[in-house]
Amino acid sequence: MTALIEAAGLTRRFGGIVAVNALDLVIEPGELVGLIGPNGSGKTTTINMLTGHLAPSAGHVHLRGHRADGMAADRFATRGVGRTFQITQLFGRMTVMENMLVPGLARPGSTRADATPAAWRHLEFLNLAGLAGLPARSLSGGQQKLLELGRALMLEPAILFLDEPFAGVNPVLRDEIIVMVQALHAGGRTFVVVDHDLEAIQRLVGRLVVMSRGTKIADGTVAEVREDPAVVHAYTGDA
Amino acid sequence: MRAVIPVWIGVGVAALAYPFLADPYWLTVGILAIFYAIVTASWTLLVGYAGQFSFGHVAFVALGAYASALLVKDGGWPIPLAALAAVAVCLVVGAGIGGICLRMRGPYLAIFTLAFSEVLRIVITTENEVTGGSGGLQAATLFHGRSDIPYYLVALGLLVFSLAAMGLMVRSRWGLFFRAIRENEQAAAASGVRVVRFRVLVFAIASSFAGLAGAFYAHYIGMLTPDIGSVDQMGLVVAMAVIGGSESLPAAVLGAIAVEVLVEALRAYGQWRLVLFGALLLLTMRFARNGLLTLGWEQLRRALPRRVAVR
Repeated sequence: MTALIEAAGLTRRFGGIVAVNALDLVIEPGELVGLIGPNGSGKTTTINMLTGHLAPSAGHVHLRGHRADGMAADRFATRGVGRTFQITQLFGRMTVMENMLVPGLARPGSTRADATPAAWRHLEFLNLAGLAGLPARSLSGGQQKLLELGRALMLEPAILFLDEPFAGVNPVLRDEIIVMVQALHAGGRTFVVVDHDLEAIQRLVGRLVVMSRGTKIADGTVAEVREDPAVVHAYTGDA
Repeated sequence: MRAVIPVWIGVGVAALAYPFLADPYWLTVGILAIFYAIVTASWTLLVGYAGQFSFGHVAFVALGAYASALLVKDGGWPIPLAALAAVAVCLVVGAGIGGICLRMRGPYLAIFTLAFSEVLRIVITTENEVTGGSGGLQAATLFHGRSDIPYYLVALGLLVFSLAAMGLMVRSRWGLFFRAIRENEQAAAASGVRVVRFRVLVFAIASSFAGLAGAFYAHYIGMLTPDIGSVDQMGLVVAMAVIGGSESLPAAVLGAIAVEVLVEALRAYGQWRLVLFGALLLLTMRFARNGLLTLGWEQLRRALPRRVAVR
């Protein structure tokens, strides 16, 4: 089976700083992968390269077997790669429904007749249907995170990158998001979740990839990674 | 939408009756108001809907005017064909400017487009053997009768066409994408919107409508000078859009007409009318950032009976 996303030797430099250094990563269809690491370890930079928001300085990205590094972000999106952002990025003055319709209508061949019912379906799943006519910026922080997830779902993505979906949300909403992601995963979507909430990550994912200082230092099951000395050192500084 | 149709019908009847009721001076003012309405509406498309803050929009008015006038004068083209060609020139140059500006945002985009506008104005001024420079370029007029009523009707037709075309665009998915780009380019790209394509497209389209207005102006006024593309003109267009409403085509049109009429009505007060406009701009920015007429328009829409949207 062809990997959904394959990164080989992925590197990104910002001047003299190597933010991501020769990363090899393979995501198979149907996986639910956690990507963790201390602040500044290169997680978001990696996601940006795997979703077209940054071009790699070196290395390759393959999307379903096709070379994709250097491809624009919108082309990743219309080829089934959805994402959310570390800091929620919405169309603030547009309504909740309009936020959903943008990706719905950006998909090649889509029409309002297709996109509108799909938008309502996703909004109901996310418990946001009652807010459809409100400007997105009037939503609470947690609701905005859900809307950003809904917007990504409108792309009918094969893979979703969630960048810190639990940041700044209360425990009740965090649990709701976990249940939603699990339901979507059970429906066949692949996820890569970046977060610092290790408890939530461990409840959610089957595989953990750990980065530190731009380098992948561990890749395995939750149990394997928890015992890895390199991971312990990266987080605590203990040998 | 349906509730405001009677309003639009009333506006349409008034607009059609106006040239037959106004004296020649106010007929000229009406024609110029419509010219500015097209320019302001096209600037609103670019800035208000797509968030591309251009200070070079009047350069395309000048480009359209001079291109059409010169094609007729030196090429012997019929005016309608020359005007179409001028629109095409503005479309292509506008796309080029949009492409060059892709990495520019906010103040950098404003300064670059202002520089482009000034460069074009200086080229027009210095290439006086072709353009007539500051001395002016005589342009063939569209009609040869004594009445300006035909010009008014052509201008009105061009305004209706421009508003219909731009209105269809902003109501379509393109309009949704323009606004998404305005709000957040990164999110727009992550949503599958081809940001590069749509930024170039909006520049091209807005520039072509400005060129259309310029071509009409050339063959109405019959005499062109480089000042048509000056910073003063750009400032007037910005004031019209801000006072009317820079995120609504109807509000921008009404703003242009209102400001042009006021400029003429207050001519007796000389430079003091500019003080008034400055004060009006300050008040608008402070209390009605979406424009004075947008505020009024929204009040009107709320007051009219509406059909509730059904899912």
